[in-house]
Amino acid sequence: MADVSVGMPLAAPLPRQRTLLVGTVLGTAASLMYFAALLGVYLRERADALSGSGEWIPSGADIQLAQPTVAAWTMLMSVVTMQWAVYSIARNDRPHALMATALTALFGLSVVVMTSFQYTEMGLVADESVAAVLIYTISGSHLAMIAVGLVFLLLMAFRALAGQYSSRQTDGFVAASIYWYAVVFVYVVIWTAIFVLK
Amino acid sequence: MTLTETNPPAEALAAGGDLKPPAQAAMASDDLSPATRASVPQWTPPSGLARILSSGDHLTVGQMYVAFSLLLSGLALALGVLIGIEQADIDGGFGVFGDANEFFQVFALYRTTLILCGLVPLFLGLATAVIPRQLAASSVAFPRAAAAAFWTWLVGAITHIAATFSYGGLGSLQAGAAREQSVELTVLSLGMMGLGLLVGSGVVLTTLVTQRPPGMDLLQMPAFSWSMLVAAGVWLFSLPVLLANLVISWADMRGADALGFGGGAAPFEQVAWAFDAPQVYAWTIPMLGIVAEVFTAAHRSRPQMFEPMALIVGVFGFLSFGAWAQRFFDSDDPSAADAHIVTNQVVFTAFGLAIALAVLAYGGWLAFNGASAGRRPQITPEFALVTVSGALLTTAVATGVVRVAEPALGVLREADGDIWRGFFDAMDDLEGSSLLTGMMNLAVLGGLLAAVGGLHHWAPRLVGRPLNAALGFLSVLPLAGGAVLIGLTDVLSGFFDQPARPYETSRIADIDSVGFVEALNVIGLIGSIAVLAGLALVVLNVARGLGQPAEAEAGQGGGG
Repeated sequence: MADVSVGMPLAAPLPRQRTLLVGTVLGTAASLMYFAALLGVYLRERADALSGSGEWIPSGADIQLAQPTVAAWTMLMSVVTMQWAVYSIARNDRPHALMATALTALFGLSVVVMTSFQYTEMGLVADESVAAVLIYTISGSHLAMIAVGLVFLLLMAFRALAGQYSSRQTDGFVAASIYWYAVVFVYVVIWTAIFVLK
Repeated sequence: MTLTETNPPAEALAAGGDLKPPAQAAMASDDLSPATRASVPQWTPPSGLARILSSGDHLTVGQMYVAFSLLLSGLALALGVLIGIEQADIDGGFGVFGDANEFFQVFALYRTTLILCGLVPLFLGLATAVIPRQLAASSVAFPRAAAAAFWTWLVGAITHIAATFSYGGLGSLQAGAAREQSVELTVLSLGMMGLGLLVGSGVVLTTLVTQRPPGMDLLQMPAFSWSMLVAAGVWLFSLPVLLANLVISWADMRGADALGFGGGAAPFEQVAWAFDAPQVYAWTIPMLGIVAEVFTAAHRSRPQMFEPMALIVGVFGFLSFGAWAQRFFDSDDPSAADAHIVTNQVVFTAFGLAIALAVLAYGGWLAFNGASAGRRPQITPEFALVTVSGALLTTAVATGVVRVAEPALGVLREADGDIWRGFFDAMDDLEGSSLLTGMMNLAVLGGLLAAVGGLHHWAPRLVGRPLNAALGFLSVLPLAGGAVLIGLTDVLSGFFDQPARPYETSRIADIDSVGFVEALNVIGLIGSIAVLAGLALVVLNVARGLGQPAEAEAGQGGGG
């Protein structure tokens, strides 16, 4: 029997469901809202304290700008490596995609280490001032956000190793990159609002 | 037989069945003899408790949401009865509760349970079960995440209630080390509930965005799906703020002494915005979709002018976002020149007035659709329920207008304060009065009635058969009558200066007419008992439906 489809136009391809991408964007938006709330409280309390007693960071604490600045630059460098991973997977260059992902994760881990070191150095006692409570809450929440980002990167790397991502399907890497850019953005805001302004 | 055919269907996979290893699946090919093929263990779906515990099937998850949220709503209403008994003799000291602290804890638990254990998960349950069918999708976007969200919420809810009854609660009017640990657990469990609801909202939103069939744009979705899109969007931006408040409280409690966010009643005060205008309206957004679907189904017509309705629901959602209205951070000295008082802000007043206009416009849309249908509506339990729920929401926003009117009329005060002094004094007194409780109860109970209406409407899909109509009609009267009594008596008492927080005994003396207010409280108590009885009938009806064999759902239950 003759193929009845001969001569008929091809059906338009069904649009790809970008479920992971949309879900990640929504989750990232919720994370940003969470930090917006935390930072809103921080800035409000800081303004109140400065207009009242004139002191915000307790006098015994020594919050240096060096570690947060290095951490901020590290985070910014991770944007480049993250985008490198997306660029590579879109061109079927899996080795470079994995290497770039590993570098991004390494940058993230470095920020965790730097923040932990800063905790030991700054002499800010958690339960002695409102500023300390808020600084530990915000920076601790950001560490948790980095941890989630690292798990996300690890999962995408494993899935790439298994051949699930290539130039035909990059959603996982793009989703991970969107989340990671949010992690970096939040850190830059924290760096400005907490460590630069103090 | 092909390899594909030997695999369990996608829904069975989501149900958490035991899967054959690939090697076994490969053996079940046409190469094998019938005897060998028969020896290959076949996939069998789990049954009983295992099916429920391991299920990622959207219908099962939706059913579990509905079942547990109905039960927890019942608990909330029972707490409301206890509060009503206590308030029936408002100036006679503490009777049901031992002291002001216990009253405060039950007061806070009533709000968290009614909204975050009852109303919101009930809507999410309906959405999880119904929306994939409305979109012609096989499941929700992330079935496992939906199941994880449900269990997170449920464990959080049970822990929250248990912790509150273990000398916990959202803060304490008394200090004590042992009590603080229970308070920490209460705060953490509320955060767990919030996280579950947040993930559930994200799943629903992702489903609505990605699982639509080709050719269906957002404005072609059924009204309930559209309202859930708006609701889940608003919840996705509200719940993280609630979580942030709770995390700050919890972090503060970790120290030797709480410094301001975790001490005293601060944990509740920080999240109180979630139970007040405008956020309280945000929890009720899906009711607009349910009302639209039930209303048009009762008129046996299709929605006319859908786009304006979608716009109205969107505007309602935008105006109801209330995470910014946190009175915990108001200035300590309201009389200071640069004092920051949320309820005095222009945006607070403007939103309060505009949301009333949105509800009026929605009512106009319903009236237009009723007139366009050209026939009388078919009177069903769901139609009666959504009609009353619409009236309750309208009354709630009207009450909200009264509440925000005082700052709006500040111009008159500036012009000639003496002439209007009595009026302004009365309006001033309303802030902090039980009018706020009435507004919350009207909106939330309106939402609850609409959700029960939705249960009736989609019962063939949810429980496999329509709910019993006679039992449904029987539940309408106590639910509707009770909700009206609860809400209106609180609003009326507010005009007589009954405080919104009745455990604050210092404000009891300010009540204008204690005897009259107590009489109103008794009527409100009767309303609470009636709503509880009505809900019991709903639970009975649903249980009765689940206990009977499913019917074919073709032609039953409108709305996509």
